[in-house]
Amino acid sequence: MDYKRLAEDIIKKALKLGADEAEIYLENNRDFELTVRNGDVETIKQATSKGIGLTVFKEKKLGFSFTSDFSDQSVDEFTKKTIQLSEVADPKPWNGLPDFGKQETKDLNLYDSSIAEIPNEKKIMMAKEAEKIALAYDKRITKSEGGYFGDSETEIILVNSKGLSRSSKRTGAYFGVGVVAGEGNDMQSGWWSSSKRHFMDLDNIENVAKTAGKRAVEKLGAKPVETQKAPVVYDRYGAGAFWYGILFAMMGDSVYKKTTYLMDYLNKSIAPDFITLVDDPTIPRHVSSVPFDGEGKVTQKNVLIEKGMLKMFIYDTIIARKAGVKVNTIAWRSGYRSIPSAGFLNVIIQNGTVDRDKIISEIKNGFLVTGLRGIGTDIPTGNYSCGASGFWIRDGEIAFPVDGITLGGNATDILKNIEVVADDLDIRGGLNSPSFKISEMIIGGKK
Amino acid sequence: MRKYFKPIPRRKFLKASLTGGVIVATLPVWKIFSFTDPPQDFHVNPACNLSKETLEKLIKIALQRGSEFAEVYVEYNVGNQIYLEENKIYGAGRGVDMGVGIRVLHGEKTGYAYSDDLGFEKLKQTAEVASFIAAEAEVKEPVGLKAQKIPQYYMVKVSPDSIVPKDKAKLLWKANSVGREYDQRINQVNVSFADTNKKIIIANSEGTWMEDVQTLSRLMVSINAIEGEKRSRGYAYKDGTLGYEHYDLKVAEELAREAGRIAIAMLPAESAPAGEYPIVMAKGHCGTFFHEAIGHSLESDGIRKKTSCFWDKKGKMIASEVTSLADDGTVPGSRGTINVDDEGTPGQETILIDKGKCVNFLYDRLNAKLMKAQLTGNGRRESYQHYPIPRMTNTYLLAGNDDPEEIVKSIKKGMYIARIGGGNVSWVTGRFVFSVPEGYLIEDGKVTKPLKGIQLMGSGPEVLMNIVMVGPDLEIWGGGTCGKDGQGKPVSDGNPTLKVSTITIGGAKV
Repeated sequence: MDYKRLAEDIIKKALKLGADEAEIYLENNRDFELTVRNGDVETIKQATSKGIGLTVFKEKKLGFSFTSDFSDQSVDEFTKKTIQLSEVADPKPWNGLPDFGKQETKDLNLYDSSIAEIPNEKKIMMAKEAEKIALAYDKRITKSEGGYFGDSETEIILVNSKGLSRSSKRTGAYFGVGVVAGEGNDMQSGWWSSSKRHFMDLDNIENVAKTAGKRAVEKLGAKPVETQKAPVVYDRYGAGAFWYGILFAMMGDSVYKKTTYLMDYLNKSIAPDFITLVDDPTIPRHVSSVPFDGEGKVTQKNVLIEKGMLKMFIYDTIIARKAGVKVNTIAWRSGYRSIPSAGFLNVIIQNGTVDRDKIISEIKNGFLVTGLRGIGTDIPTGNYSCGASGFWIRDGEIAFPVDGITLGGNATDILKNIEVVADDLDIRGGLNSPSFKISEMIIGGKK
Repeated sequence: MRKYFKPIPRRKFLKASLTGGVIVATLPVWKIFSFTDPPQDFHVNPACNLSKETLEKLIKIALQRGSEFAEVYVEYNVGNQIYLEENKIYGAGRGVDMGVGIRVLHGEKTGYAYSDDLGFEKLKQTAEVASFIAAEAEVKEPVGLKAQKIPQYYMVKVSPDSIVPKDKAKLLWKANSVGREYDQRINQVNVSFADTNKKIIIANSEGTWMEDVQTLSRLMVSINAIEGEKRSRGYAYKDGTLGYEHYDLKVAEELAREAGRIAIAMLPAESAPAGEYPIVMAKGHCGTFFHEAIGHSLESDGIRKKTSCFWDKKGKMIASEVTSLADDGTVPGSRGTINVDDEGTPGQETILIDKGKCVNFLYDRLNAKLMKAQLTGNGRRESYQHYPIPRMTNTYLLAGNDDPEEIVKSIKKGMYIARIGGGNVSWVTGRFVFSVPEGYLIEDGKVTKPLKGIQLMGSGPEVLMNIVMVGPDLEIWGGGTCGKDGQGKPVSDGNPTLKVSTITIGGAKV
């Protein structure tokens, strides 16, 4: 089926049926995933699926529907129903399709045609190998949560009645493993994985597997510490949730509604001058890169925090119009089942210059965070209270694993108290941070 | 506010009555197989009504490489949503999902394929892909399909899908105006109504063949209040496997008042002190804790794989003697309720912990077979795009004998957890953190000032041992969507008033 043609036909139909504006977001997917456990294949899952999301505006009123039923009769009914839905909404002056003018998408090399040809035997071998190496990493590893491999191919078509017409094909390949160390009341799990657009970019199996093993074993015997104030180092792979607490506070909608602690901080300093935070979904081949966002806008690198200064809030087109601002931040879309909303795709906190081990070696008594339980930030007030696990640092060295404590404070204070950033940035996902040290935080634990 | 009262076990009810305990209302329909028909006003795309012959053909193809078991799952799902914010109907949305998932089991192996194209050729290919999991083995002849009647625990007369958005909007407007009038300090009211209407057909190589229509609905009110620098939020909702006849303007008004009450009550809240304290969990609103911190560790996949902290605990004491825990898919109208699970096993009540002793786990078909256990009706899947895994339904702590007032009075300094919010739990270690959207200080046996930023921390197995008092006032209430292995599933939970002798509170204050 010619999906672009189908999308254009639905737009025409919608306009004929009374819509002032219409947009189609069409997704066509192929997915494969297998899991192995204890050396044997456990599940194989394979499928194709598709769907369309239709947004219409009629007299500035919004209607939205999605369907996975592409039959002619259903599509007619679907278009009619979507316009009827718009009739119940209230008109808003800022409603309507975005207008980007002329923009050319760049080829970010996100499609690997070889992925479809990888034989299942090879995929099974990779998952089995990862599991085998992780299980053998240490004698204290007792159980497997399984190894896995998956790959996918996604085609996105975005067409609207203002003449926008975009399409993109992306692939993905990933594998990983989870193991459990210990027995009885002291069990710890460790997971690690690698996820890329191109098969050949996947990390070395041995490194991934050993990382999973290490992460399980090193946490054995974790215990809470006493309640106290102490310096805290956020590990690069454990800091993601902390930054989400900052990013969610930068959402334009919350700024407009005055429900975020950062609402008065635009163009003001919120962090030391060595903190720069960007959203850059344009890195070629990267797993979090896309050529255009959920509204069809060509992606670009946006500097959100520059040298400690909060430079922009994050808006989609409709919220930006409502708030009367002009921005180029990302409109995020989870798929054809939803309409776009403000978001981010590939956040990078600028790398530091100091070796992480050196930072730790200078701490007499402190805490290294490697895992956070949730975001911990109350967006309206900035109150920060987050469950954490990691390691205690004593006399400049890792002393013992810690779990069952909370980190407390206020997000604005914590940001200002970033003392130093390490040079260990590793761009591997959608939120990439080097390790960094906070001069002092409240650690809530045993009395 | 909807409240489903669950009758307490007979022996406990007698005791509670003798000590002048709380009067517990019971629903007359409790556990009676009513065989009422699903709502007639929900229209399914006829393409989804695969014939008996088609289902049998697909099962046969799926078995062609010699597997033990094959199953076809057909789904047609319509979702509707309408949302109000800033004194305006923001918009209304509708979505249709349909497709077929075909599963083949072979020993510990699962082959799964799905398609959203319901043409026979495409379905045939799907069955073939699923069959590949089997090694060449003797081909088994499937048992002919026999239609099965199923019990009916949903409370649906009028399908919410048959109600036009304009009518649903009236509920939203009512809640909005009541919420805004509740108090001057209220600056924001958001209201939404959402429903999903799902028809499923399940057929397998053992002859099982049934269909079910699953309806879920929810009216939710969220209110923000502001006073100077202080901000707070309150929310309230009614939801369940409920038809539209359960919603009216009065319900909308009650929800708005409840959300307003919480927002205003929490406005002067002070930061909670960190440390170790005894806590009281209020009836009905803290069941999420038992679902997350205990229930997941009792699901049979983690038990079989020995990755759960309870894998070797069957028959052993894992909780204090006053603690009994159950999962029950048959609570009438509750959000986690199921007539049958997504493998065709009828919903049932399963006692997991009986007076402290671990007595059972939650099973799907695969794990029950591998572990030689009885099915419990807990094989659930998000949609045709997923294979079933062991999942909870409605999970709750059973009633005890302690007077709820005495429970609060027994605490000199501690916290009253009026409702529990979101949490994060490791099912391997049982370690958890939960936020508390409504909590109060207890001083000298009395509930006093509101507290914000309470974080409950600890490990599930530890807390189970520290439950020292349990009231007779079990309520199963509300619920949400639980995520596991990338699959979301509606669940509910409940609890009576109870006391935990000590728990770590992580607050922002030392």
